[in-house]
Amino acid sequence: MINRRDFGKISLAAGLAATTGRPAWAASAADTAVKAAQQYKGRSITIVWEAGLQSLDPTHFSGPKWKELTGIDVRVIEVATAEMFTKIMQDYKSGAGAYDALNVIPAWMPDLAQAGALEVLDPYVEKYGYASELQTIAPTYRDNQMKVSGKIYGFPDDGDVFLMYYRRDLFEDPAVQKAFKDKTGKDLAVPKTWADFDVVGAGLTDILKSKGIYGASFFRQPPYAMYMFEERFRNEGGKFFDAGTMKATINSDVGVKVFTGMRNENKFMPPGVEQFGFVENLATFLQGQSAMTISWPPYGRWAEGYGTDQEALNWVPKTTIAGKVGYALPPGGHPELAAGFALSVSSTSKNKDAAYLFIQWLNSEDVSRQRVQLPYTLRDPFRDSHYADPGYLALWPNAKDYLAALKQASQTGLLDLSLLQTDKYEEVLRQAISKLWAGEDPKTILDAAATQWNDITQKIGVDKQKMVYAAWAAESGAYPKM
Amino acid sequence: MAAIAHPDRNFKYWLISPAIFLLLLIGLFPLIFSLVVSFMRVTMLETDTSFAGLANFVQLFHDARLWQSLAHTVLIIIVALPIELLLGLAMAYLFLNHMPGRPILISLLMLPTIISPIVAGATWRLLFDNRYGPINQIIGWFAGHPVPALWTVNPGLVYPAIIFCEIWQWTPFMFLILLAALSNVDRSLTEAAEIDGARFWRSFRYVVLPAIFPVMSIAILIRGLDLFRIFDIIWALTSGGPGTMTETVSVYAYVQGFRQFESSYTAAIAFLVIALLTVVVTWAIRRMGLAK
Repeated sequence: MINRRDFGKISLAAGLAATTGRPAWAASAADTAVKAAQQYKGRSITIVWEAGLQSLDPTHFSGPKWKELTGIDVRVIEVATAEMFTKIMQDYKSGAGAYDALNVIPAWMPDLAQAGALEVLDPYVEKYGYASELQTIAPTYRDNQMKVSGKIYGFPDDGDVFLMYYRRDLFEDPAVQKAFKDKTGKDLAVPKTWADFDVVGAGLTDILKSKGIYGASFFRQPPYAMYMFEERFRNEGGKFFDAGTMKATINSDVGVKVFTGMRNENKFMPPGVEQFGFVENLATFLQGQSAMTISWPPYGRWAEGYGTDQEALNWVPKTTIAGKVGYALPPGGHPELAAGFALSVSSTSKNKDAAYLFIQWLNSEDVSRQRVQLPYTLRDPFRDSHYADPGYLALWPNAKDYLAALKQASQTGLLDLSLLQTDKYEEVLRQAISKLWAGEDPKTILDAAATQWNDITQKIGVDKQKMVYAAWAAESGAYPKM
Repeated sequence: MAAIAHPDRNFKYWLISPAIFLLLLIGLFPLIFSLVVSFMRVTMLETDTSFAGLANFVQLFHDARLWQSLAHTVLIIIVALPIELLLGLAMAYLFLNHMPGRPILISLLMLPTIISPIVAGATWRLLFDNRYGPINQIIGWFAGHPVPALWTVNPGLVYPAIIFCEIWQWTPFMFLILLAALSNVDRSLTEAAEIDGARFWRSFRYVVLPAIFPVMSIAILIRGLDLFRIFDIIWALTSGGPGTMTETVSVYAYVQGFRQFESSYTAAIAFLVIALLTVVVTWAIRRMGLAK
């Protein structure tokens, strides 16, 4: 028979369950990981992490915390992004087993999984009860950045997605609105299509250039511009391949239109925009010299000054536009997820369980919520709970709009192209973009790029690549629903 | 009379054998292994590593990008090397005679050569930056208006930028070698020529040049080989771009080996380069009389 004390306990548990989404007596995935990892106290594990700001997370926060909780020492192997794939493959091929846990860009997963470099995580997920918390990762990341051929190889851990950041103060300025209307006959509004973007960008440059403000600025260096091409190409209706023949179709009319548009838009952007990388574009926007830009989530935080008082971020130009930034989906409405990171375990690790438990803990609801709010790191919201977290919403006055935009972007986001030997195809795209800035004809460039893509496909094996492409194209985030 | 004990004649070989073994292990083993790999189908991403015969070497001759990279390399050599030689020679003449502060000035001139080439390239990339670099700013002062030259993007400017950086960094090397060579020319010969009425150019051509030719030849050979394997400055400035416009053999081999993971094909490229350089170096040594 239940007495009053029992009834009180049950009510409390039910109440907690209602707020946390799990039974109060059930341990969180973070707690489970910590308890299970304590048996490995005194051991040391390594984790490959992107060099620079990203690695401040494990070196300053999660690594020390994990050691405190479990006694396991975390050694962070910082590697430049461009070298990460090579290093992971080299470690695997040599059998050295130097790496235990890994950060991998999801687009690499088919290659790494096929090569056997990644540990299949399904047994560990079942063993340590992580399945339910995996379901609360935002669907686009969860459904598209976790599995290869139905098996889990990584936990999505970074909500990278492109967002448009624009100067709300300029768009809402009556004088600017009037001048724009007089010039173009249209109302000034945040562009929803690339055709609108061209009109708005050029118009704002004409109106504001005398004040040192351009309509827009983008990062145009090939490694970044490649993602923008992938996004825009698909938003305009382009397909990377003919699914039946696996012939590349990037040189279609859509591809030429996109390339031509990208080149023409440089004319109303700051001089030298062809050389803009992440930092140059950031500086331009934060110093108030462009009215619109597209980039990863950190732009939005740093534009509001969040975290830029940290020593690690003292290189970020001081913002002159805090409180003036609006957030929107890029033109087309389907932004590129653009890289991102997933946490994996190396198949040659000698500490697989310990490594797995660390990544489960990192990726869990409780811990990831703290990590995405660290002012000095680059991890972006990727769980449903992150977008609604009261702490995050209170970080700056406009944070709720920022998180709402990120959530919307994650729901409509487009996956990076992910095939066998994706980097070879991307290398061709990067070179094509650098030729575009050098002044070559877009059609000629794309025809050559398509030929190179076809050669790569032939070398890999048409049927083999066709299967991988078909699986990728079937994902909900591969192509926008037109 | 006591018999004289003959020392073991082979003892000296035993003494140096560990070092020779180590050198062979480090140098010869990778060479042979690379040769074996070049006849196989080894890539980082495929499991098939079967024997490929001459397929990789045949591919070399059909690879237009490889031959373009060789052409780019030769272009850099034929432009940069003569300039470095002439500038180095001019600087050597300038510092031949005693002047106040000569040792300090020579030390300062040598500084570029002690900087790591990749650091030099990264620094020059900043200097050439369109918005924040001082190069464009200084040019703008002289022009009277901003000059947004895109040194690492504009096809007309990328080679001047690369060659300028190379010359800046390595002319001091030429200068030092030629200074030493000029310092050892017998003054009595040049003075005698002067007394006989020979002007500077005749004196240089018939007296100085023959005297410094052996040393100058070695400097040219060393710098030529360095320029052939140029990588760091190009990678830092342009990464071989725009497109593949500034891709040299070293850059292309790096891309094939470490970006495309085509290990066997990269090994074949390496042996092609070894073969070409062997021919060139042999010819150069004979031509320059260095084998005498």
